[in-house]
Amino acid sequence: MRLIARFAKEKKDFFELVTIFEEEIQKEQISKTNPKAKTITDKYPSAIWFERKIQDDFGINFENSFDNRPLVQQERFPKNIHPLRKNFKETSLEQSDFTPYEYEAIGGDGVFQVAVGPIHAGIIEPGHFQFSQAGEDILHLEVRHFYKNRAIEKMVEGKTLFEAKPIIERISGNESIAYQICLRDIIIQASNQELPLPLKKRDAFLLELERIIHHLTDLGFIPNDAGFSSALAFASKLAEDTRRFMTKLTNHRFGFGAINFEANSFDVDFINNWLDTLSKEIEYFEDWIIDIPSLWDRFDTTGILSLEKAIKYDAVGVVARASGSSVDRRLNPFYIQNGFEISLEFEGDVASRFKLRLQEVKNSLTMMKNFIEPKTNSLEIDKINDGEYYSFVESSLGELFMAIDIKNGVIERFFVRDPSFINWQVLHIMMDNNIIADFPLINKSCDLSYAGNDL
Amino acid sequence: MIKFWNKRVKTGILTENLEFDDEIKQIEQEIKDIVHKKFAGSLAIRMVDSGSCNACEAECNALSNPYYNLERLGIYFVASPRHADILLVSGLMTFNMTPHTIDAYNQMAEPKWIISLGDCPAMEAPFEKTYAINAPVLDHLPIAYHIKGCPPTPKDIIKGILEFLKGISL
Repeated sequence: MRLIARFAKEKKDFFELVTIFEEEIQKEQISKTNPKAKTITDKYPSAIWFERKIQDDFGINFENSFDNRPLVQQERFPKNIHPLRKNFKETSLEQSDFTPYEYEAIGGDGVFQVAVGPIHAGIIEPGHFQFSQAGEDILHLEVRHFYKNRAIEKMVEGKTLFEAKPIIERISGNESIAYQICLRDIIIQASNQELPLPLKKRDAFLLELERIIHHLTDLGFIPNDAGFSSALAFASKLAEDTRRFMTKLTNHRFGFGAINFEANSFDVDFINNWLDTLSKEIEYFEDWIIDIPSLWDRFDTTGILSLEKAIKYDAVGVVARASGSSVDRRLNPFYIQNGFEISLEFEGDVASRFKLRLQEVKNSLTMMKNFIEPKTNSLEIDKINDGEYYSFVESSLGELFMAIDIKNGVIERFFVRDPSFINWQVLHIMMDNNIIADFPLINKSCDLSYAGNDL
Repeated sequence: MIKFWNKRVKTGILTENLEFDDEIKQIEQEIKDIVHKKFAGSLAIRMVDSGSCNACEAECNALSNPYYNLERLGIYFVASPRHADILLVSGLMTFNMTPHTIDAYNQMAEPKWIISLGDCPAMEAPFEKTYAINAPVLDHLPIAYHIKGCPPTPKDIIKGILEFLKGISL
């Protein structure tokens, strides 16, 4: 079974521990007086971050877990505070004494530590990487995040789904459309309505457009990290063209507020022409970049994630598919009828992830042609029913999972698992037999989100 | 290789083909003049994300694409706050990032300024105050100029930097 998420919620008399697997959902009651649970990390190593987060957020302790260090609560965070419990209502915290965090480190003659971050050298998000090095060779990497934790889960509690929408669409800017579609699906479930096909197609069109922007940006930045900057110039030009196209369709460069149960009319000819032009540019780009041997020297066999490890660590998205694991939420009749073909690579290295992105851009363009829907359409949402709702979307990074409990018409518990939350935990495996100078390249080839991960 | 050069010649220089051609040209000249006069030809910016959604960072990255090509104006994003004249702060100043952001500012050499980028640092984005948010940034650091937007477009950012430069006296 593939582990998707593990999270807790507070009920009146107990905590509920929910574990989402691909095939089933398990629920467990945890006593409030002595909150303890059994770890599942012996079978599912990627459960460790989920359990450490639950420990921070709710104070539930996991017995026999191999790692009990705090995850979200960092050095200066006040002790014995569990902010996702309902009785925690503070809106500001005082910094407490500095308690050092014990990094995973390998000792030995000549082995040294390299600490990178939270503030990095480029224009990127904050996060920390701790390397154990033997000369240039990476012996171990610990990824430490949650610098950007904004407590989104707590922020949206007590709001209606529509009040929470502007917040949810800004959780991770690069995946805004995906987050909005996840929320859309929950609204549809909660109001017991059907989504009209034209609306579904319009939203799917925008989701693929978002994927193209994200992939194009990466197709430029990955070669750039290997010192081939003309690819960045070319691909970032295409990414900017695509962003401007997004602006034409949604009035926003990132599509904030675009998924709104209303489909405006599409100018079919304009869109078709635009898609054809981009197809040609991509064709040129592929033809050109495949032919640069020094670049592929850097890409090939760098940062390998084997299929076995991808499955063991429940990897999702581009990272999983580049290792041959066919995890894709678009494997459903709606997408397949509209031309979806799963892209797979099997080497699991930087080259595979790069080639996979190229393939996915081409497949997205094919699908978008079929998603063009000239007619206008809209849907009125009348009543939101209380209940527990789950939804999944394949964002540009991978499978996005959202769970919302609604009680008395407002959000009782909001949980979202960004694809990055799983994939960050896989990153350290890719470091085996690599040198530290290749870390930026490997990291960029996965292009994971910090904001979505940290919440 | 010949394919590449063919494409290169056919594509030409994109930077001049902006929709807001004239406007940007005027801004360009002004920025160039000010940067030249006040910062001896190069203005160094260090960007720090204190808890944003990454859209502001994406727009800052877009500033170096061929359409905007910010570096031609003498404005550079640098790798260390110690090299920077300006700290560009985006995001909600999360509890966990607050000490690091302040640290980055303390590492800068005088004279130094902070520009806040986007609605988050001013607490004007749809986010609400929680225990994990220390925004507005103004409560913690002296902000010299604020660039509005969620996120501000690359054009807004260029304009904002120009307005800031016009306002400072050296």
